[in-house]
Amino acid sequence: MTQSSGQTSTQGSNLDLPATQATPAVQADWNAGFLLMAGESYPENTYEIFDDIISWVEAYLTGTDRPLHMELRLNYLNTSSIRAMIDIFDRLQNAADAGRELSVNWLYDSRNPRSAELGEEFKEDYDFDFVISAVGD
Amino acid sequence: MVPSLTTHRSLASLRDFFSTERILICFNGPISRTLISEIGAALKEHIESTRDCMTAAMDVFSVYIEMSQNIRHYSAARGYVEPEATATVVIAESGDGHYFVFAGNVVELEDGKALLERVEHLASLDKPQLKALYKEQLRQPRVEGAATGAGLGLIEVARKSSAPLQCSLDVLAAGRAFFTLRATI
Repeated sequence: MTQSSGQTSTQGSNLDLPATQATPAVQADWNAGFLLMAGESYPENTYEIFDDIISWVEAYLTGTDRPLHMELRLNYLNTSSIRAMIDIFDRLQNAADAGRELSVNWLYDSRNPRSAELGEEFKEDYDFDFVISAVGD
Repeated sequence: MVPSLTTHRSLASLRDFFSTERILICFNGPISRTLISEIGAALKEHIESTRDCMTAAMDVFSVYIEMSQNIRHYSAARGYVEPEATATVVIAESGDGHYFVFAGNVVELEDGKALLERVEHLASLDKPQLKALYKEQLRQPRVEGAATGAGLGLIEVARKSSAPLQCSLDVLAAGRAFFTLRATI
């Protein structure tokens, strides 16, 4: 299930984790300054997936001064995953406060308004660029 | 009442009971993380297939996941093994477009009493109050292995519910009790 939990991201590394039933697909591209998460996240223990993501974000934010763009296509997060997302967003906010160029693009399935509401509840707590848009019919 | 399952007739009565109560899925026994996911995925797919919008499916799924994971976390924190480390979960249609999610588990009597109070408090709050409490709890430091658990997850369950949460406690032997939580989606 979990292939690489607990690893510390090294400078310049990428992440490419396939989605599982309870964890989203994750792709992090160091050179592009791009992080994608897509799917649903409700693992019993969030470190299974979020430790890798958080350490990648930390490594990127401390190892470069380039922009970071996140694309989030998350249909559902359990409350532990919501907490873990906040750990990521707090780091982004700190970087934004220090002048970093950052953006979050939250994309939700138009049939799933709950995902839009989830995005809105994150967005209201931060002041970096956070765009929420519907995809699909 | 369902008679003993020693005859084939009794399975038919069990089926009748499920049908009358509009039970979609029920489970009683040791619940693994894989089983939680599999049941949840089947549940979500079923509800989605009957509706144009995913909202009901996502709300029932969310409540089911939080309740089941709360039970798993609680059993682990208390070091329970079978038969205590089991869950009873029932998801039913109300007949008027709503869904019921029931989840029950064995708890220490004192924990059960504290849970009753907590659920009754949550049941007394309106949606804006629940949101404020949720945001506050989100920022609280995590307490790993906290015995009562049921912090943020329980607030989330209350937020997704269309009616106040209901709960009960049936006292068992040896300082334990069976706690039942019912959410209406």
